[in-house]
Amino acid sequence: MKPAALPVSLVVLLAFAAHAQRTPQAHLDCKAAGEDFVYDCTLKLTRAGNPLAGVEVTIGADMPSMPMAHNVKPVKAKPGAAPGAYEARIELEMQGEWALKLRLSGAVNDLLLLHYEFDDQGARPVARRMR
Amino acid sequence: MDDYAVGVLTNIALFSFLALSAYLLLVGGEMSFGQQALFGVGAYAGGIATAMYGFSLPLALVAAMAAGALVQWLIALPTLRLRGLVFAMATLAAAEMLRIGFELLHWQREVDGEPVGPDGTQGFRGIRWVFENGIEPAAFLALVALLLAAVLAALVRVERSRLGATVRAVGADAELAASLGIDVVRVKLVTAAAAGALAALGGALFAHANTYIEPRNFDIMLGVHSLAYALIGGLGTALGPLVGVVLDIGLLEGSRVFAGYRMIVFGGLVALLLIVRPRGLLDETVVHRWRTWRKR
Repeated sequence: MKPAALPVSLVVLLAFAAHAQRTPQAHLDCKAAGEDFVYDCTLKLTRAGNPLAGVEVTIGADMPSMPMAHNVKPVKAKPGAAPGAYEARIELEMQGEWALKLRLSGAVNDLLLLHYEFDDQGARPVARRMR
Repeated sequence: MDDYAVGVLTNIALFSFLALSAYLLLVGGEMSFGQQALFGVGAYAGGIATAMYGFSLPLALVAAMAAGALVQWLIALPTLRLRGLVFAMATLAAAEMLRIGFELLHWQREVDGEPVGPDGTQGFRGIRWVFENGIEPAAFLALVALLLAAVLAALVRVERSRLGATVRAVGADAELAASLGIDVVRVKLVTAAAAGALAALGGALFAHANTYIEPRNFDIMLGVHSLAYALIGGLGTALGPLVGVVLDIGLLEGSRVFAGYRMIVFGGLVALLLIVRPRGLLDETVVHRWRTWRKR
């Protein structure tokens, strides 16, 4: 190993970690609301491990296997009980994998994308098989 | 205009590029099941240009169109002799090869300390030029609509020219066109390249509207829809594919009248129209009557 390799690697890792800390992280928990394809979702937003409150969140959805073919109405999430928590009712058109686009504005201006598989119970994050 | 209306109109405009691409090939006598892959080529090329190499969006769109034209030209070269169903199958095979190629494509570079670029089946995140430049969804819709209007105006103008008549002649009967001295190979290659560029332009705009793309976005479903829009709307004028898109995405999907049954209704509509009006609502006869009526 070259002498400069270790410090360079450390700088790259630190820069990556610093960037990851700046970027908001989102976790979604959705449960079927009792109507077909309607889900009550709780969104938890954090940044550097701390709850991210005071953000306006709009949630849109599209199906990766049928892009542009579904027009799901974007919904505004309401602040939840806990700091950094937001609640929204999402009305989809069918079960399956959906890409949820979170538009953050106000305290934070950003755009996050989450892939979740929706079924008759709720939703879970999608794990992709690598080629 | 609310977010929902902006979203529906943006989808209509983006789909229109793909439908126009399929329409161009149909007018030239070829039915392609592979235009979704050219849409994908444009999406990846445009995304790589802005997100990885810092190009501006206009430059990225030009690069995407060039890539789309080149790839479609390369597909057209070995498939020139094929006709009908065999040509359709060849385009589908080429499209699937490209889609699998996207799944195998791992090409990332560090931008602001973060790896950016295509990451196989994990997709390509961070195509944020539109977002980072503060372009709101309504303004982006205006840009897409403007580009679509420019493309439509160009196509309508070409259709009324000698070149348009030549493409239609080749599409109607390639042997007869060749006997009249038309260079059929050249016409087919130029038409294919133009169709590839159009699909790629739509793809690049889609990537920037969505900020994220993945290989699954570009599977057969997208291609079948674009072909169906061109066939429903009609092959008599470039406005035909737009009618097809507006009918499905705007009326059937946008109005939510049929909710989850939309695909069944749409499939039935396609089948019915192919029986009753095999060249679509705005076919050559309707367009000819319209032009004759206007001249009176």
